[in-house]
Amino acid sequence: MTRSSTRWIAQRLAQMLLVLWVVATLLFLIFRLMPGNPLAAYIDPNFTVDQQQALIHEFGLDLPLWQQYLIFLRASAAGSMGQSFFYHAPVAQLVWEALPNTLILVLGAVIIAFLIGATAGAFLAWKRGTAVETAGISLALAVRAAPEFWVGMILLAVFSFSLRWFPTSGTASPGAQYVSLWQQLTSPDFLRHLALPLVTLVLYLQGLPLLLMRSNMLDVMEEEFIVMARMKGLPEGRILLRHAARNALLPVVTAFALVVGYSLQGYVVVENVFSWPGLGRLLVKAVAAKDYPLAQGAFLLIAALAIFMNLAADLFYTWLDPRVSYAKR
Amino acid sequence: MRSGSVDALPRPGQTWGGWRRAAGTLWSVLQHDRFAFAGICIYALFVLIALSAPLLTPYDPQQTIMSGDALMANRPPSRAYPLGTTNVGRDIFAQLVYGARPALAVGFVAAFFVALIGTSVGIVAGYYGGWLDAVLMRLADVAFGIPYLPFVIVLIAFLGPSLWNIVLTMALLLWKDTARVVRAQVLTLRERGFVEAARVLGSSPRRLMLVHLAPNVLPIALLYGSLAVGWAILTEASVSFLGFGDPARISWGYMLQDAYISQALSGGAYNWFIPPGVCIMLVVMAGYFISRGYEELLFPRLRRR
Amino acid sequence: MQKRSVVHGLAFLALGALITFVPILASMGFAAGAPVTATQAQAGRQVRELVLVTWPQAQDPQQYEAARIAAEGMRRLGLRVTVRTMPWEQLADYIWYSRQKWDMTTWQMVGRPERSDPDELLVNLFSSSTAKDGYNFIGFIDPRYDEIAQGQREATDPTTRKKLIVQAQEIIAGAQPYTFLVNPKSIYAFNNQVWDPATIVEQKGIGIKNFWTFDGAAPKGAQKDMVLNAQDPVQAINPLYISGKVDSWITELIWDRLVRIGPDGLPRPWAASAYKWLNPTTIDVTLRPGMRWHDGTPVTADDVIFSFVAPKGGKVPMYRPFVANIADITKLNPTTLRFTLAKPSAAFLTSTLGKINLVPQHVWAPMLQSLEGKKENAESLQEKAPVGSGPFKFAGWTRGQEVVLEANPEHWAAPKLHRWILRTVSNVEAALGGLRNGEINFLSDYLGDPAVLARLSSQDPRITVIASTDIGMQFIAYNERRPPFNDTDFRRALSMVIDRNMIRLVAYKGYGVLADSPVSQALEFWHAPNLPQYAYNVAAARDLLKKAGYEWDPQGHLLYPASQTETLEVAR
Repeated sequence: MTRSSTRWIAQRLAQMLLVLWVVATLLFLIFRLMPGNPLAAYIDPNFTVDQQQALIHEFGLDLPLWQQYLIFLRASAAGSMGQSFFYHAPVAQLVWEALPNTLILVLGAVIIAFLIGATAGAFLAWKRGTAVETAGISLALAVRAAPEFWVGMILLAVFSFSLRWFPTSGTASPGAQYVSLWQQLTSPDFLRHLALPLVTLVLYLQGLPLLLMRSNMLDVMEEEFIVMARMKGLPEGRILLRHAARNALLPVVTAFALVVGYSLQGYVVVENVFSWPGLGRLLVKAVAAKDYPLAQGAFLLIAALAIFMNLAADLFYTWLDPRVSYAKR
Repeated sequence: MRSGSVDALPRPGQTWGGWRRAAGTLWSVLQHDRFAFAGICIYALFVLIALSAPLLTPYDPQQTIMSGDALMANRPPSRAYPLGTTNVGRDIFAQLVYGARPALAVGFVAAFFVALIGTSVGIVAGYYGGWLDAVLMRLADVAFGIPYLPFVIVLIAFLGPSLWNIVLTMALLLWKDTARVVRAQVLTLRERGFVEAARVLGSSPRRLMLVHLAPNVLPIALLYGSLAVGWAILTEASVSFLGFGDPARISWGYMLQDAYISQALSGGAYNWFIPPGVCIMLVVMAGYFISRGYEELLFPRLRRR
Repeated sequence: MQKRSVVHGLAFLALGALITFVPILASMGFAAGAPVTATQAQAGRQVRELVLVTWPQAQDPQQYEAARIAAEGMRRLGLRVTVRTMPWEQLADYIWYSRQKWDMTTWQMVGRPERSDPDELLVNLFSSSTAKDGYNFIGFIDPRYDEIAQGQREATDPTTRKKLIVQAQEIIAGAQPYTFLVNPKSIYAFNNQVWDPATIVEQKGIGIKNFWTFDGAAPKGAQKDMVLNAQDPVQAINPLYISGKVDSWITELIWDRLVRIGPDGLPRPWAASAYKWLNPTTIDVTLRPGMRWHDGTPVTADDVIFSFVAPKGGKVPMYRPFVANIADITKLNPTTLRFTLAKPSAAFLTSTLGKINLVPQHVWAPMLQSLEGKKENAESLQEKAPVGSGPFKFAGWTRGQEVVLEANPEHWAAPKLHRWILRTVSNVEAALGGLRNGEINFLSDYLGDPAVLARLSSQDPRITVIASTDIGMQFIAYNERRPPFNDTDFRRALSMVIDRNMIRLVAYKGYGVLADSPVSQALEFWHAPNLPQYAYNVAAARDLLKKAGYEWDPQGHLLYPASQTETLEVAR
């Protein structure tokens, strides 16, 4: 890498940290400024005023705002995210337990969505101008337009309640125990539990790669070198696969990172429908219960992942497409 | 990137010419592109339904229907109740047609603000460049980094569950895509000497942005605007599903959540659970269709009949 | 040609925007209020708009529906009533910490085995000592009631005590600080092909989901694990912490208590084999021999003493009030302890001996010691492998997903089932589906539509559904710090215009009995018979108000009696 590119990467990294800091501060302020007493979630008939005060002291809520902020900054920089009010356990531990479930579902869904979407997109580009193309695009958009939880519930009702092909909830059967993560991921029981939430997400995410691939293919197929290949008499299939698809794939691949970041943000509803014990459900409950440390921790983690994915997408695209220079942004 | 006939260099003395031409092109897209036309038809249909709701059904969506002493709960579809009733005796069809109102209101208002904010930010960032551009784009990064749905939930916990708070949150977060693309377009126009030409003619910055730049980015604004209609309606549905929705309004999202917490599917009440989802799907799809029409406008090589 | 189509286009857009936006925004409920044309004096006397707060429909459809129906009824008295919803955390905060600000709220008291004795509810809800920051958030002050409530607490003779408890209920029924709605029926279901129905125990006021069922359920076939569901994840497994309602199912199984509440609602010996009152403040307790902790060490009298003394320190805030009344515990011999109380307490067996978990000293003493000088308390501790002496042993916990307990074969009441597995299922429909396809064989947390479950059971003979009247109750509470709720006649009129039977039918789908007292009808021994019923009668309610001096203005709005004006603003 050239020196200017290293500098550019460093610049973007610095900007990324800045954005992360702004997001963290924003979250901190919003939670602290929310009206209402965080202790409301823990009201018990036997709480005396002393006990309430003790709780406030334990949560560190009696310190002035700027002190709480400094503690928060210091703790975040050190990597600790504090103690959850609700679970009385370290936030890091709670998040660490929920994260693999989220990542497996989201990454798996994005990968499969891209594979299916890209293939379908190429296929529709090939069928340009036919009824198949119109139907295909309409179908892709229709699926994309349906609410995720609605699709999820319908899949659950049909494939789980009625047909009994798949289980109704969780990541594993009751009482199942695994020796290692790898054993869990490759066990048929886990895959059966993963199937329906995965399909729901895939249906939702396939629209973007499909349309992107299709429009890129159409662009590429107009390009001169394709016309040349046709004039040379190469078979259509070979042109499609070898030349057009490969070039069209470039922007689609860079969109991958973007979509991962984007899907991390909204798939909370899928977790609820399938009782999938991931980060999204943890986050929603934490917000509802005003569990500041947990909500902040989970939020920040998702935000960091999303921002990082954004940066990765930028880097990847710049690296792949040498026409775009580092100076021009 | 070409944008139809609107990219002619600015001429002296014109004020609304650019706008007129832009409007004309956009209108012709609607007429000629199949998808966009279908989308507009769907919108028109739902607007009609929303407006004529009282004519379409004798019931109020909140009304619990009693027949004598008996509660008309869980009735299957019949002539009296075209889609049946809910488990507390409310007419589902009435809820569906009245539910079009909040759905469309949320969709269009949110889309309007997203397009407005995004376009303004994009134009300003692209035109002025420099540190203003950097600040605005980093702001967009922040908006990108914040997890969308959880943030909506946090703000609603803060401000209270009302439809307008949902719209506000969307306006705060969803403008970033529009802004990025508008900014890129403005940069392109800059490179083509568009801005220079206008300045030479003596345009003030404000006039330049409003009269010359804005019409050129209008297709983008409309593209993302129509996408935003879909996002807005889906967000409202998701937020309602998680329990943070506006309890005072019967919207489609509310209906879905109501059906969900009343175990409609386990009870076999597909007539309750399916229709609101289908309506959401249609309206959001219409938005996508229309946005495709403008996409074709922005990428004219694809425009082929 | 171009120009005309452009004009057409713009005109269409403008018209479309006008047609779309204006009526939709207008129809979003910006109704203009009708101007009030009452006289000047009457305007001052008009009762302000009252606000009834409740839970969002998503979180509690029954309370929400009850609030709506109640508000409709109140409007028939000429009141302007708004129903306002807040998520439960905010609602709890508002009611608890802003006691001067709210008018009325729906609320509920959850049934717990310890509440089989009416002491807790009668005192906490209505005693003036808890009005400032305790459970008497309505601010009900009645010295005569205080006397009677305190009296029943100290009356160790059951007949005297019952008389006092009946008297207390009669006072409340007359004063109507709440409008009692229903004692709901709790509904549970199980798979009768997996579990022998004869071994499923229904506990009064609790239902079939109770300790006795878990301990005694006998598997019929190959499936020997009980798989249950809960909507919310388990928060903590800690005997010194009263965390979520689901958590208490688990602590009841892993840790034993000296006394347990039996299926009949009365205390019975458990870890204590016998007890004897020597006088109203002294009780001798004999420990059952041969008890062991799950790590193999024997349960000693010192462990038991430690279990009752540890909460007295500052590190176990939730259990401290229950041991506050214990002045001293002496070890008479290795198997007998003498408890000396500061004041007589008739409910001691139920509310203290039946509540405190027996914990091993060798595990908890060092843990509590490590907290000395720090601001955290016992609630922040979590054993990796909790150790108790109960009939179930801890086997595993996958946070957010499931808790697994194993039967303890060495326990004197060893369970017949092998494992007790609690699954977190956030989707109610999925729980039903799980019950149908066998993933779950005991439906232990069902807050959905009872009719759906009943239908499921009638279609599938493997599933047995049992609904039992609960100890808990649902009610509407009136803030007596704010007029007109400080007027007893006003409150009684409200009770008469709220159609409680319709609430029972519509909101609770008939799954509940009308409540008339803080003591549930499920507690047959303590529930007062012949309490005034406040049947739905709008005319009688208006009469009552008229006799109390209230009037109505020409528009039908309710006015305070002459010489009284509205002094408060609408609740915020």
